Amino acid sequence: MGNKQTIFTPQQLDAYQVGHSARREAGLFYRYHNLAPQLVPLDYTSKPDVKLPYELIGSMPELKDNPFRQRIAQVFSEDGEGNMTLDDFLDMFSALSEMAPRDLKAYYAFKIYDFNDDDYICKSDLEKTLNKLTRNELTEDEVRMVCEKVIDESDLDNDGRLSLEDFQHMIVRAPDFLSTFHIRI
Amino acid sequence: MSWARERQTLDAGQIHYGPHQSLRLRERPSNSAVQRPPQFNWNADQPEEGAKGRPRNLKELPLPMELKKAIRQVQQMKVPVMSNWQSWKISKSKTMKRFLEESREVLAYVAPWRRTLHKIGGHFGGGVQSYFLFLRFLVVLNFLSFLLIAGFVLAPSIVFQSSPGNSETQNSIDQIECMIYSPEPQSLSVFYQYFLDLLTGMGFMEYSYLFYGFYNNTEMMNLQLSYNIPMAYLLTTAFYFIFCLICIVLRMGAVIRDVVKTGGRAVGGYSTLVFTAWDYGLQGNRATNLKQNNIRYQLQMDLEEERIRKVAASLTMAQTVRLYSLRAFLNLVVFGLIGAAFYAIFKATQFSQSQTGGDFLDLIVQYLPSIVITAANFLVPFLCDKIALLERHSPSTTVILALLRAVFLRLVSLGVLLFTLWNGITCNGVTESAACSVCQYNHKQYPCWETRVGQEMYKLTVFDFITVIAVMILVEFPRRMLVDHCPCKLAQFVGRQEFVVPQNVLGLVYGQTVVWTGALFCPLLPAINTIKFIIIFYCRKITLFQNCRPADRTFRSNSSNFFFLLVLLLGWSLATVALIYAAVMIHPSMGCGPFRFLSMMWSVVPDSLQLLSNSSRDFLYFMGSQAFCIPLFVLLCVVLCYIAALASIYGKTVSLLQSQLKMEGRDKQFLVKRIKELNSASRGKKR
Repeated sequence: MGNKQTIFTPQQLDAYQVGHSARREAGLFYRYHNLAPQLVPLDYTSKPDVKLPYELIGSMPELKDNPFRQRIAQVFSEDGEGNMTLDDFLDMFSALSEMAPRDLKAYYAFKIYDFNDDDYICKSDLEKTLNKLTRNELTEDEVRMVCEKVIDESDLDNDGRLSLEDFQHMIVRAPDFLSTFHIRI
Repeated sequence: MSWARERQTLDAGQIHYGPHQSLRLRERPSNSAVQRPPQFNWNADQPEEGAKGRPRNLKELPLPMELKKAIRQVQQMKVPVMSNWQSWKISKSKTMKRFLEESREVLAYVAPWRRTLHKIGGHFGGGVQSYFLFLRFLVVLNFLSFLLIAGFVLAPSIVFQSSPGNSETQNSIDQIECMIYSPEPQSLSVFYQYFLDLLTGMGFMEYSYLFYGFYNNTEMMNLQLSYNIPMAYLLTTAFYFIFCLICIVLRMGAVIRDVVKTGGRAVGGYSTLVFTAWDYGLQGNRATNLKQNNIRYQLQMDLEEERIRKVAASLTMAQTVRLYSLRAFLNLVVFGLIGAAFYAIFKATQFSQSQTGGDFLDLIVQYLPSIVITAANFLVPFLCDKIALLERHSPSTTVILALLRAVFLRLVSLGVLLFTLWNGITCNGVTESAACSVCQYNHKQYPCWETRVGQEMYKLTVFDFITVIAVMILVEFPRRMLVDHCPCKLAQFVGRQEFVVPQNVLGLVYGQTVVWTGALFCPLLPAINTIKFIIIFYCRKITLFQNCRPADRTFRSNSSNFFFLLVLLLGWSLATVALIYAAVMIHPSMGCGPFRFLSMMWSVVPDSLQLLSNSSRDFLYFMGSQAFCIPLFVLLCVVLCYIAALASIYGKTVSLLQSQLKMEGRDKQFLVKRIKELNSASRGKKR
């Protein structure tokens, strides 16, 4: 790295290193900075309070075509609207990296698919998920049948909706989850 | 609901956890059951540290950065009290873990084509990637086998070829006509003869290190070292087979572990599909559209299967009987087709073995068995697919049936070829008949029968390779150009090619089985196969990226990986049976080869054992005797029973834990209901 400017204090670097290497850290910071160079200062030692609006985050090439990008930004942002600080940004890519453990990913996946934020994935959440997954090309009947099947298979406490435990129990049996819930950046 | 906007800054060591919390730790004041926010257990012991010296479970919790910083500071202040033994154990386990991680990284780095496989998996999914992983496994297996054979058979043969001190025993005079073997090419040869010889393995290729006939039964008996080439030849081949078996079984073990970990076939098929099918790493409009189509197709397929199952369950008795009799008839038709293919292979092989010659027309005759086998392997599955439409099975059953039929066809057609060769060599097993009585084999037609068998396997390998290249150039590229540039409806209907994984994998298994069968008779065949598979890897990669579209139907990779390895194991057993039969039951050629003066190939081992010292000889005899084998067998049975019992216990534990999970959910629901009732009761009492 040719840039000798200090971006973080050593304590900040140490804190941020949970889940990343220092080089990856710096790479992510430059991505964040390049989204809005005039808003994000290069020197973060004074812990400035900078928040990038959702439109900038959603236009990143890694997220641009993801049908769930709005939910991802909402889940990881502090204000719940999708406007992210650097901390939120780093958290997001840390949870979606290949080193994040399964439980952490399952937790965040559950929150992404919980559209109405009520700590349960109910039928309406499932329908919205399905429509995003298939670009609204399934018929009403098919959507209804698939939702019924999903709830049948995963609902362990029989309350008609999926709680976090049901979701995690189902994720344990999915071999591909760790590799699909992964953004390469 | 208004959420607090501020987040308190943290001083060193102090944590404020008031109503101003970050998004992730908010307690939602909803009336449903509480979703526990991730807690951090301050009192837990920290016996294990991560490789970088940081406590591992800190990374696993979705806590805000400041909180993690604070926790780490507190943990560093804690000094665990441990005995010397425990601290030594912990430091040793840390070193071991670090070493294992680094060696795993090095292995992954050294493994060839790592980046290519990654790219393929990203673009086309796990099913196609599993084909390329299988191909890479076979390349590595073949290369290691070649090193084995080169080290123990080829190099000593080359070295001892020209050195004095070989001993060659003489045969008895009256079998002189069996020793006639003259594979030297004619002096006047046409210019394209070399090319033809390269393709058929005859002429200048026949008497070379490529085939069995060239090796001598030299036994080096120097003062410093002694090397018995026939023994090395046989034992290297045997060890090569055992090495392949071990590799396949190890790989199967790894695959089974994955399958068991996830509870076998995806029981939660729909939920897994909905929640884990979307690949978050996909970029670009085209890739996401394809993935969405993919998911939609899979869901529709699953629903269709459900519908078919319901329809099948609701048939009347008369309709069921009619369906089953139709299916039985169609199965007979399929068996008839396969039997016809076998007969065609039998006739073709007989005809081709009886002809010899050197010009182009005879080239076709030489390759006739390979052509017939390849044509049968293409036509018969195609017809079976059309027939399967009438059978009206569910889609997954149809796929499995087609695969089973294709596997049966491929492996047994190779078996028919070997059977026909055996017929010719041993006069249908009747060694007293006219042609075979002198030398115990048909010496007029097969002066060196091992080389001939090796040549057949060589021709099969070469033809398989040529077919792959020819299909790629003559079928796949033109099809893609037609689809891309011709606006006619037929082209759009046919569409771009799809990479069909099962058929391609069966082709690989077939090629590898041919190599195994021919390894005893053509020692360089694994080397040729390594090169062939490497070229096929690159060809398939090019065709995948240029000509294919991502499959509509994804291939379930985890359970099918196991199936492919099982089929490979089946091919291996076929080759082993052929090897054992050839080594033990058929008299080796007297005119060529390292076993020319023995009555069977295996007898070189007992003969050499006589030369050992008394004690080692007695020890080996003891190992082969009943006094050792029967207790060993009994011990192995006991170990097998123990492992089976262990496996059943684990299975029961897993199902017990699953039912316990369900029970806990119900308990929670019950308790919440009771709390509500009590609350409303007490509220009612207050009024």
